[in-house]
Amino acid sequence: MVQRIQSVVIVGGGTAGWLAAGVIAARHQARRQAGFSVTLVESPNVPIIGVGEGTWPTLRTTLEKMGVSETEFFRQCDSAFKQGAQFARWTTGADNDAYYHPLMLPQGFSQLNLVPHWLGNDRGTSFCNYVCPQGEICDAGLAPKMITTPEYRAVANYAYHLDAGKFAPFLQRHCTEKLGVRHVLADVASVNRVEEGPYAGDIRSVTTKQAGEIAGDLFVDCTGFNSLLLGKTLGVPFKDCRDILFCDAALAVQVPYETPDAPMASHTISVAQKAGWIWDIGLPTRRGVGHVYSTRHISDDEAHDIVRRYIGPQHAHLPIRKIPIRPGHRETFWKNNVVAVGLAAGFLEPLEASAIVLIELSAKLIAEQMPANREVMDFISARFNDVTSYRWGRIIDFLKLHYVLTKRTDSQFWIDNVDPATVPDRLQNLLTLWKYRSPWFFDEFDRLEEVFPAASYQYVLYGMGFRTEVEPLDNAPTESMAAKHFNENLSITRQMRQQLPKNRDLIRKIYDYGLQPV
Amino acid sequence: MPNVVPLNSQTHRTLRVQAEASARYGDNQRFVPVIVGEFSLAAIHYPILLSKDAETGTFYCGVMLGFDAGENLFLADGKGHDGYRPLNLQRGPFYTAGSELAIDLDNPRVNEPDGQALFDEAGEPSSYLQSIMALMRDLRPGLERTKAFVDTLVSLKLVAPVSIDVSFDDGSRRDVTGLYTIDQEVLRGLPDATVVSLFRRGYLQLIYLMIASLKQVPVLAQRKNRRFLEGT
Repeated sequence: MVQRIQSVVIVGGGTAGWLAAGVIAARHQARRQAGFSVTLVESPNVPIIGVGEGTWPTLRTTLEKMGVSETEFFRQCDSAFKQGAQFARWTTGADNDAYYHPLMLPQGFSQLNLVPHWLGNDRGTSFCNYVCPQGEICDAGLAPKMITTPEYRAVANYAYHLDAGKFAPFLQRHCTEKLGVRHVLADVASVNRVEEGPYAGDIRSVTTKQAGEIAGDLFVDCTGFNSLLLGKTLGVPFKDCRDILFCDAALAVQVPYETPDAPMASHTISVAQKAGWIWDIGLPTRRGVGHVYSTRHISDDEAHDIVRRYIGPQHAHLPIRKIPIRPGHRETFWKNNVVAVGLAAGFLEPLEASAIVLIELSAKLIAEQMPANREVMDFISARFNDVTSYRWGRIIDFLKLHYVLTKRTDSQFWIDNVDPATVPDRLQNLLTLWKYRSPWFFDEFDRLEEVFPAASYQYVLYGMGFRTEVEPLDNAPTESMAAKHFNENLSITRQMRQQLPKNRDLIRKIYDYGLQPV
Repeated sequence: MPNVVPLNSQTHRTLRVQAEASARYGDNQRFVPVIVGEFSLAAIHYPILLSKDAETGTFYCGVMLGFDAGENLFLADGKGHDGYRPLNLQRGPFYTAGSELAIDLDNPRVNEPDGQALFDEAGEPSSYLQSIMALMRDLRPGLERTKAFVDTLVSLKLVAPVSIDVSFDDGSRRDVTGLYTIDQEVLRGLPDATVVSLFRRGYLQLIYLMIASLKQVPVLAQRKNRRFLEGT
């Protein structure tokens, strides 16, 4: 008998649970009348860990496909624009040490690699400013679009900063009211497994304290660090990566603005510290600040002092919350009929806002590859594990890249970070290769949905002063094309600086008038 | 900056206002807002489209009068406005402030010696001012009705961008962006109950007037072509 996959049960709410529910339910709306259902079981008592106030531009597509109004998303989740990140003090630690990792691709990226041209005729311009307008837009405090730009469309590519504590309830309302997701508020008391037959070991149902037994064909584990289904029940081990990424704790604090209309940055600010870094994220209502650090390099007390100094004496009374970080991920992500999404799959320091984008990518993969029946599930889960392992590996590489390029030697944390023993082999090899050829387009990164494309590597490498050897004879044939793109970028930058409004002004207009759907 | 003050029969007793349609006085607008009450008159002359307010991003209805900024192809020097002149041009320097009529004293139409008197010797409104008062009585509730109509179009996803890409006889091309019209595909797919409701509210007629008025775009282009030929 072929057992059709008709009932998806998501265990755990939060950002992961509700995003997964929304993505899967939206993709399979048409099958609802044939009995396909998505159920989300959530404890009424477990608090949400509000990780990741930063996102990737992918969230725009994800929300649009779920049928969410971007205007309502701004109004209800205290959302703001994010046009990338600025990394300060990562290279030398000096006051003027800062570069951008913007979200726009370099000018003409699909036709020409501008890196060798920038390296070859350095005009005293940063790589970012040489190839795209976004650094200057961020410096000027401008929004990435106008009030006349339709919902989800951009003038300059953008993602969001958001209040995770408001995002999950917002998604919950959308999922239950618009997408037909069944919401069960109950504590899971026990997990029941299939005892015999070819699929013995699968999860058959969960028994809840308040709502009885809930059976399902596919279970999505969104139970956070607890990893109740995949980790605890199916015993999939956790792969720690603290040997590569040292940070294992964060201190988070919410900082009010001096005045309600104070300027608001439209990019994440990341400032390197003695043994970690501080994030500074502008929401319309407050700033979110956090110190991510390595407990093997400094004490909690010193970490507190550092974040207190950063926010200033006028905020000495603000409460600081400690969040433990266990960097790493499960060895596999989909086993039997259980797939983990979000913290249940793993977690890394939020240096490049990878948490929510990984949730989106996993949910999308599950939704699109939804097994027709149990018989084919193992092929699909193998594929899912392959892709997801690859993604975690590339994110770890990319985060490590920020550390391994430092020239700082002022503390043991930075010295330890460049120790080759802590650098993954693949990254090590790429760094050697990049001495002679810069990363570009498809040549290193072959996956359709690469989390960090070659452009991201370019921005970090050349933002941090990495040098690739340039052969002038190689540049000659494309010199005029490069000059054309360079001038094009100058003119686009000028135009955008003229037409784009101030970041906070646009947020206020979205509250007052909304963005139009077209 | 406009200098809008409430109109007063004492202080403004001798004020004169130039009412003539002319580029000199601000009729040189490519796109002029109209209210739903004007649709049937406007549709026989101009394309009725939607555009977005630059400040708020919200949609409003208007008529397209030209292709370039400041171009109203229906104006000819000393000959007034060819075809129906939209209320928003007719009202000249007048506004409403609450239930009161107000005037922008810095508008170039104000204080022109050959303009229309606003009050007679007895201080009573002149026939010109009476016509403005009547116009304002139509315009104000008309704006609200129009907004309700536009909101309905947007909520039913009936608004779609329209691409107006025209080549002229002098070899130049215009790709006019930022204009919207009725999405006829979505219109055809509306459920019966919605269609009946649109009909009962008088919206269906307005929608079809907008669709029919699209045929005015090539006519407008011909008008511009004639100007090229006449060398003006």
